[in-house]
Order: sequence, then C-alpha cells, then structure tokens
Amino acid sequence: MSAVEVAGRVLVAIVQVAVVTALAPIVMGVTRQTRARLEGRAGAGVGQPWRDLRKLWRKRPIRATGTTAVGVVAPLVLLASGLVAGALVPLVVAAPLPQVPGDLFVVVSALLVGTVALALLGLDAGTAFGGMGSSRHMMIAALVEPTVLMAVYALSIPVGSSTLSLIVAARRDDPATIASPAGVLAVVALAVVVLAETGRLPVDNPATHLELTMVHEAMVLETSGPDLAWVELGSWLRLTVLLGLVANLMVPWGVAGGASPGALLLGVVALAAKVVLLGAALGAGEVAMAKLRLFRVPELLAGSFALAFLAVTASYLVA
Amino acid sequence: MSLDGLATQLLALSTGALLLTAALLVWRRSLAAAARLLAVQGVALAALVVSIAAAERDAELLGVAAVVLALKGVVIPLVLGRGVRATGVDRENALRVNPTSGLVGVTLLATLAYLVSRPITQATAGIGGTAAGPAAFAVPVGLTMVLVGLLLVVTRRRALSQLVGFLVLDNGIATVAFLTAAGVPFVVELGVSLDVLLVALILAVLSGRLHAALGAVSVDELNELRD
Amino acid sequence: MTAPLVAQLALALVAVLAAVAAPDRIRGAVAGTATLATAAAGAWAGVLALGGATGALEVPSALPGVVLRLAPDRLGGLFMLVAGVVGAAVAVYAIGYAHGVTASRTQWAALPVFLLGMQLVPAAGDLVAFLLAWELMAGGSTVLVLAEHSRRAQTREAALWYAVTTHLSMLAILGGFAVLAAQTGATDFAGLAAADPRSAAASLAFVLLAVGFGTKAGVVPLHVWLPRAHPEAPSHASAAMSAAMVKMGVYGLLLVTLRLLPGGPTWWAAVLVGVGALSAVYGILQAAVASDLKRLLAYSTSENVGLIVLALGMALLLRDEADAPASLALLACLLLVVSHAAFKTTLFLGAGAVLRATGERDLDRLGGLAHRMPWTTAAFGLGALGAAALPVTGGFVAEWTLLQAMIHAAEPGERVVAATVPLALGVIALTAGLALLTFVKAFGIAFLARPRSLGAETAREVPVGMRVAMVASGVAVVGLGVAPGPVAAGLAQAVGVDGVGSAGLGGVTLDGVGAVLDPVALAVLSVAVVLPAIVASAVLARRRPRTVGAPAWGCGRIRTSPRMQYTATSYAEPLMRVFDDALQPTRDIEVTHVAESQYLADRVQYSQRVDDVVEVRLYAPVIRVADRVADAARRVQNGSITRYLAFAFAALVVVLVVVSR
Repeated sequence: MSAVEVAGRVLVAIVQVAVVTALAPIVMGVTRQTRARLEGRAGAGVGQPWRDLRKLWRKRPIRATGTTAVGVVAPLVLLASGLVAGALVPLVVAAPLPQVPGDLFVVVSALLVGTVALALLGLDAGTAFGGMGSSRHMMIAALVEPTVLMAVYALSIPVGSSTLSLIVAARRDDPATIASPAGVLAVVALAVVVLAETGRLPVDNPATHLELTMVHEAMVLETSGPDLAWVELGSWLRLTVLLGLVANLMVPWGVAGGASPGALLLGVVALAAKVVLLGAALGAGEVAMAKLRLFRVPELLAGSFALAFLAVTASYLVA
Repeated sequence: MSLDGLATQLLALSTGALLLTAALLVWRRSLAAAARLLAVQGVALAALVVSIAAAERDAELLGVAAVVLALKGVVIPLVLGRGVRATGVDRENALRVNPTSGLVGVTLLATLAYLVSRPITQATAGIGGTAAGPAAFAVPVGLTMVLVGLLLVVTRRRALSQLVGFLVLDNGIATVAFLTAAGVPFVVELGVSLDVLLVALILAVLSGRLHAALGAVSVDELNELRD
Repeated sequence: MTAPLVAQLALALVAVLAAVAAPDRIRGAVAGTATLATAAAGAWAGVLALGGATGALEVPSALPGVVLRLAPDRLGGLFMLVAGVVGAAVAVYAIGYAHGVTASRTQWAALPVFLLGMQLVPAAGDLVAFLLAWELMAGGSTVLVLAEHSRRAQTREAALWYAVTTHLSMLAILGGFAVLAAQTGATDFAGLAAADPRSAAASLAFVLLAVGFGTKAGVVPLHVWLPRAHPEAPSHASAAMSAAMVKMGVYGLLLVTLRLLPGGPTWWAAVLVGVGALSAVYGILQAAVASDLKRLLAYSTSENVGLIVLALGMALLLRDEADAPASLALLACLLLVVSHAAFKTTLFLGAGAVLRATGERDLDRLGGLAHRMPWTTAAFGLGALGAAALPVTGGFVAEWTLLQAMIHAAEPGERVVAATVPLALGVIALTAGLALLTFVKAFGIAFLARPRSLGAETAREVPVGMRVAMVASGVAVVGLGVAPGPVAAGLAQAVGVDGVGSAGLGGVTLDGVGAVLDPVALAVLSVAVVLPAIVASAVLARRRPRTVGAPAWGCGRIRTSPRMQYTATSYAEPLMRVFDDALQPTRDIEVTHVAESQYLADRVQYSQRVDDVVEVRLYAPVIRVADRVADAARRVQNGSITRYLAFAFAALVVVLVVVSR
C-alpha cells in the first residue's frame, strides 16, 4: 500500500470519527424528541443534547471526597473507547485502516474497555448506588458478550473474515446474504444486545429518577462538569456507532467503498439518514415498552444468544 | 433478479422466520403472544410453500399455500386466542424449566437437528439445481421445530401451552414434508391441516371446560382424574 | 547447554545450604539471592533450549544402569523459561515478604527445591528424570503450603487435600507411563514415542496421563486442591504454584499429545475441549462469586487452564481438517500459558502485598487501598487488565489468537468439529465476559472506594523488594501485549508453527488466516482520537475555578458510612441469582424478634455460602467411602509391635514365594 493510499484511509477515518461525534448528540436528541412527542410533550428539541454538553463543559467539576484518579481518567477512557469504535466500525466507508483493520474482536474489546472504565467510575466514590449500578452494568456486560461474538461470528462465516468492513462490503455487493436465515437471526440478536449494551429500554431506563432502578445513571451520580460531559458523549457515541453498525448490516447501501469525495458525501448522508431513522424508531419503540425486571434481563439475553447461536448453526452447518 | 433468485430469497427469509418464531415461543410465557407468534409462523410456512411453488412452477402448490395460510396463519391462532380468553389466564406461570435454560436447550437441539440432517442435506445437495437449495436450507429447520415443539410439550404445564407445542411440532413436520417430498399433494395437506384444526378445537374447548370445572388447567392435575 | 543445567543444580544446592546454615537475620537475603540465581540459571537454560540448542546432561544415579537424562527440547525450553522467570520474581518478592513462620529454615529450603523441581520437569529427557523432578516439585510445594500450619486448622486441611491429590495424580502419571513403557520397552521420550497412538493401550495411557496431568493443572473436576491450597500457602508460593506449577500439568498434556502420542483418535481432542470448556466456565463462575481474594485468583487459574486445555483440544481437533487454524490454536495455547504466567504472578504477588499490609484477604473488608498503596494498586491493576483480556495486554493477544483460529475453522467436514466450534466459541465468550466482571470486582472493591475495615484504613505500602517484583511482572503483562510479534514468533518456533509474521512495531500477523494485530498502532489511534478531548479538558481546567470536593451523594443523608458501600458479595449477587442453579448457594435468614412482640424484628441476620458443587457432589461420597474403608482397616492395627513385625515378616515370605516361582 502506497503512502498516498494510507494517508487517504487515515483521512477517511478522521472524517468518519468527526461525523459520528457530531451525529451522536443529534441521534440522542432525535430519540428523546420522538419519545416526548409521542407521549404528548413538547420536548426540548433535537439540539438539546449539544446544549447540555456545552453547559457541562462550562461548569465547575465537583469531586466526591476520597475519590482517586479514576474519576478523571475513566470518562476520557470511555470517550476514547467510543471514538476508537467510531473509527474502526464501517459507518461512512467500508475500507479497513492499515495495521488496525476493524477486526471484530478488537472493536468489541475497545468497547469493553469503555464498559470497564464506567464500572470502575461507579465504584470509585464508594457509595451504595455507584456500586449497585456498577454491579448490574457488569452483569449485563458479561451476559451480552457471548451474543455479540456469536452474532458477528455468524455474519463472518460467509465472508471468511472477522473484519467488519469486509462483512459490510460483502453484504452490500451480494444482497442475497442479507435475507438468509443466518443473516436475519444474527442481526435480530445483535439489535437486542445493542439495546442492552447501550442501556436502553427494556434493559435500563435512561430517563429514570429513582436510584434503585438505575444502571447507567447510578454509576455517574458522582460525576459532574466536563467529566460528565465526556461520559455522556462517550455513551451517546457508543449508541450511535452500534446503531450505525446494525443499520449498515441491515441496509448496507450507501456505504462508500473508496475515498472519493462524492462517495464520502453520499456515505455521510446515508449514515446520518439511517441512524436518525433508527434513533427515531428507538424512541418510538420505547414509548410502548416497559422496563424489564432486572432478573428477567438474563432471559432476554439468553434469547438473543439462542438466536445468534441458531444463526451460527444455520450458516455454519449448511454451508 | 430472476424468479428463482426471488424464490430462494423468499425461502431463506421464511425459514429464518420459522426458526425465529420457534425460539421466541420458548422464550415467551404469555399465551396471547404465543398465539400471535403461531400466526406469524403459519404465514411463514405459507410463504415457504409459495417459494417452493415458484421454484417448481407448480400451481397446485399455490392452493396448498392458500390452505396453509388460512388454517395455520388465521384460523388456528384465532381458536387458540379464544381459548386463552375463555380461560382468562394468560401466563404460563409454572414452567418446568425456566426460559433461560429452555433457550439454551433450543440451541443444543438446533445443533443436534443440524447434525442428524446433514446426510439428507448433503444427499440432496449432490443432485444440484434449485431443488438442492430449499432442502439444504430447511430440512434442519423443520427438524429443529419438531424438537422445539416436543420441548414445549414436555416443559409446559398448561393444556393450552402444550397445544402450542403440538402446533409447533406439526408445523415442523409440515416443513420437512414440503421440502423432502418437493411439495405435498393438495388433498393430503388439506386433510392433515383439518385434522390439526380439529385437535386444536377440541383441546381449546376442553381446556375451557376444564377451567370452568376445576379452576386451573394444569395438566398435572389431570392425573387425579384417572380413578 | 550443559553449563546452565549444571549451574542450576549447583546453585539450588547452595540455596538450600544457605537456608539451613544462615542465621535468622540474613537468611532471607542470602537464601533468596541464591534462589534467584537458581531460577535465573534455569531461565538461561530455557532460553538456550528455546533457541534450538541441543545437548544433554546425564547424571548418574545410585542404581547401576540408571542415568538421569536432562535434555530439554524447544517446547521444554519454553516452559523452563516461564518457570524460571516466575521463579525469579517470586524469589525477589519472598526476600521482602517472608517473615515469621514463612521465613523458617524449612520454608527457605523448600522454595529452591520446589523451583528446581519445577524447572527440571520440562528439562527431563527420560521417565526417571521426569518423575524425580515431578516429585521434587510436589514435595517442595507441599512443604510450602504447610508454612502456617501451626496457626490455622484450614492450612492443615488444605495441605492434606493437596498432598492426597498430588499423590493420586502421581500414581495416574506413573500408571500411564508404565503402560507406554510396557508397549515400547523404552524409558526415554524418544523411545516412548514409538507407541501406536491408535491402539487401545495408547488410549488407556492417554486417559491415565490426562487425569494425572489434569489434576496438576487444576482442570474441573480435578481442581479441588486449588481453591484450598492457593489461599493457605504464603503468597509467593501461591504465585509460583499458580503461575508456573499448574503449567507443568499443561506441559505434560502437550508432551503426551504432541511428542509421545501424536495423531491420536478424535475423541481425545473432544475430551480435552469438553473438559477445558467445563473448567473455564465453572472456574470463572466460582471466581466471580468468591470474596476471598486468593480463592478468587485460584478459581481464575482453573478458568485459564481450562482455556489453555480448550485451545490444545481445538488444535488437535482441527489438525486433520484445517491446517492453519489448528496451528493458530496451538499458538494460542502457548500464548495463554505465557500471558497467564505473567498476570497471575502479578495478581498473587499483589494479593500478598495486600495481605501483608492489611492482614485481610477478604474483599468484603478491603477498600480504598489506592490512596495508601499506589504501587501495589498499579501493579494489581495491570494484572487485572491482563486477566480480563483487555487490550493492550498479553491476555488480549492470546484470546484474540484463539478466536481467530476458531472463526476460521469454518466449513469443516467432520461432524464433531461442526458441533464443537460454535459451542466452544460461546463458552469462550461467556468466560471472557465473566472474567471482566470478576476482575472489575477484585480491583474496584479492594483498591477503590472507602476502607471497609480498620486493617484497610491503616494499610502502608510494602517494602521496595516486593514492589520491584510486582511492578516488573505487571510490566511484563503489558509488554506481552504491546509487542506480541516477537513473542508469538518465538512461541511458534517452539512448536514448529509457520505463518506467524510481524507487523509494524511489534505487531503480529497470522498469515494463514489473514489477520493482523498491531497494538502499538491501536494505542496510537486511541490516543490520537481522544487527544482533542484531553486538550479541551486542559484548556477548560485553566479557565474555570478550581475543582471542589464534596461528600458523595447519600440519597438525602448528609454522611454515609463505609458500611453502606457495595461489598464484593453484593457486587456478585445479581450474578449469583442468575446462575443459582449452577452454583447452588446456601442462604440463611435469621430473624430475632423483640421480646414484646413477634411482629417486630430486633435483628435480621443474612448469611450466604457458596460451596464447591463438584466437591460436595463428587468428592464427599468418595471420601465417606474411603473413611469407612480406613475405619475397617483400623481393626488390623491394634498397636502391638509384634503384630506389625509379623505383617512385615509375612509380606517378605509372600514376596519371596512369588519371586521364586
């Protein structure tokens, strides 16, 4: 690969990260706004998450006494994990970076680093709620892991590679694989775990104000100011990246294959349309859904694991 | 896309839906949801028959598809739904195996089904042509459904939930029959489907009566009726 | 080749003599240094053997015609190196750590004997040397486990379990080798390899040897000694046992399946995969709910050994089907061995430091150590990162390689393979998820938050020597992750695997499956993407007023007590409920009512205990039967010396009759 090509790929990755970062709060805003409208409220507007971030950046951080450096580092690690996933997952363009191809396992572990950072942040202040959120968060993460690997494994078998961009490109070029039993089951399973992983209904209620039912919110109770801004942005990024991945697996059209400006522009527009639509669908779905009891969540995850496993058997043993 | 391509696509989608609904049936405790899922499964089965009809260019099969759609997609789920409303109890609250273990069981059964149907899929794949595709896709799926149906029958206590299991079992048998025999004659399918409908009706009525008489419809309690 | 081996034997002798002869005050320094030198000599021999040096050291024995042959091959060299490096870290650590009963003459003499035995096992070239080294290792470690026997009854019980299982495993190994030796008439490994692996005798030998080596490796259901012996042994001994000694069990399995009986039937591989999967899931489940830090680490060893055995089984299973994935699985097996050695040393040494500083190993009574023990916190954190297999550590590289091997094993013809690979993948993923929870719990509860006991509140950082050993092994954990290229290339050489290249700065490429992992590039990417946020943070921090501290949110209460925090037990409680059927905990709620009314509760006490299900269900009945047999046998013993002499006399006569026949 020539130096020009490498530079091109890197440039594309930068564009993708910038686009995803700009989109993440908007997707969140769309989700909240849809939900508000359907519930008969006026809503705060699509731009509210961005305004929230700006407000948080200006605030003075308050740290609980007795906390360690984890309180400062963990939000940045969470953010970094979201950004790395944003760079590696084929969202705007399906061309792997040199040396760091969007290998499924690498992406998953990058996200897991963020999960762990958040869990440690919850434990850092030594409060009952932080520990509670952290414990639940890790339990869910532990049970989500098998489904994630299994689902993308099922998707990777027809392609023969665990590189996500190759998987997306193969689905784009051969749409017949999208509707195969393996493909359908795997994407459904993946969608379920995305909800669990990003703390949405029915696994966690992002709008709750009751500490006892919190998962994500309980962990960030002690975080404030810019630290909270990074945590929030990191979580939104994670949601957007995963929604984008699911969208591109379901509807792979529009993902750019190369670095030409036209294709890139099309990719950006397509991505924005897809994630905004999915975000709105998520908000609409949440209106009609109640939070599951915590101990029914494993059933949900076992269900999605079963689907992913069926996907593997379907594609693995017939092929 | 050619007609065959479209048919294959439809076939793949419908077998996927069959598997998905079978797994969801193990997951859900609500009988009303089970009735809806069975309706979806019936529609998927009908779609499967349509895709075979398209692949085989066989008009009679389209008639079979219509029967399947009417009976398995509409009538039987409706009967089941009425039964649920008649007993007034929606939840299966006394599972023998919790849904989590049940779902893990489904995965193992699916593996088993794929393993035992490998010789069949390989034998049909050897023939080549379009006929190889459908069978290769769906024989294991049908077998999985048979096994899942049996799992449901064994692990549920309520009469209606057992009926659900029985219907899944029947759908599984139908799936295998359609694929290995490359279509079932119209009359045979009509007869079998009506038979199943009869069973569903009898069980639904019976469980309604039992509920009225005994208050609960746990099959375990029927043991005491034998003397 | 012979020079380092001779040096090693001589230095071990010096270490033992120093331990026995040196006065109390300087014993630790002198014996510790000599032990360090022993381990280093072994590591040197390991490096040479790994590099391909050949040559043997033959030690004559007291029996005529029996010669002990030490001739490590490349694979043996690798295990010598692992044991040597772990041993060196342990020796340095022990100088600072050992005190009181753990610094007695016996203890200091047992350590070099144990380390020597451990390094000679992979160096052995024939059965006699192998078994002798194995017994040195077993004996030395038993003495180390017994260190605190005078203080705690649990130590004696643990040592008894350990001694019994070790000897049973020795019997199984002896039996297995005897079957092979009877088949081939040889006692050296080259000669034993002539046995036909498809014969029934070979399968019998495999089962016996797998049971023997599996016990030493601590795979479920043969793991029962691990969660008892590791917590009771002094921490440096636990580190050596967990990081290096269980690996000798793994070496044994590799020796049998690769060198002595290559090309065995498929069911051998399936058994290994099954046992490995069971160990991995069961081990990590028990670790996740354990609140004793060292018990947690012990169960995590069971988990890791499970993954190692699973990888080995996978390599054997795929060998006939897919060549490149099979080689990768084997490489992953060795990577797991090396990375586990690194992070488990770090973690056990860290746990020892915590124990030394607070007197506690119960996580429910720790907390807030990050403020008081920064070095230990950093080292333990690195180890935990490795154990959770997160980037960029050796653990991540190993699991990545294993997963790459498995997902490229698609389209197999064999049915067993087709059914095994997806199941194994699910098991690995579940294990990885639970390992994450386990080590977040271990690190977060012990080192973050507020102290939960006086011991934790008054903890002080440990002496320099211990810190050096901990931090060095912690750095090794990251080093293995940052530069996996050279490591993987070295390991690939040890088992003759091709197709492992290097990429970028220390990255690794797996040519057979077209995968590349460059941790340096990944780290650069991570830093690059988050750099704007860091800069923004710095700028914002300069502009705004100073950060203020405030009490944590107490849900309306002004002051909260540390007792309100989540403990390790409560942290694992949701998981415990989810896996209730597998773990079968016993819960007890005891309500004391006030005297006036039975409707008012005065005290409510909740207790919960998790017993090892395997131990309760499998071992307890066996032990009951053994006890009954022993009771019956007691009738023969009445304390009369004449009668005992009569037994001996009768036995002698019987033997003579048999011999003369």
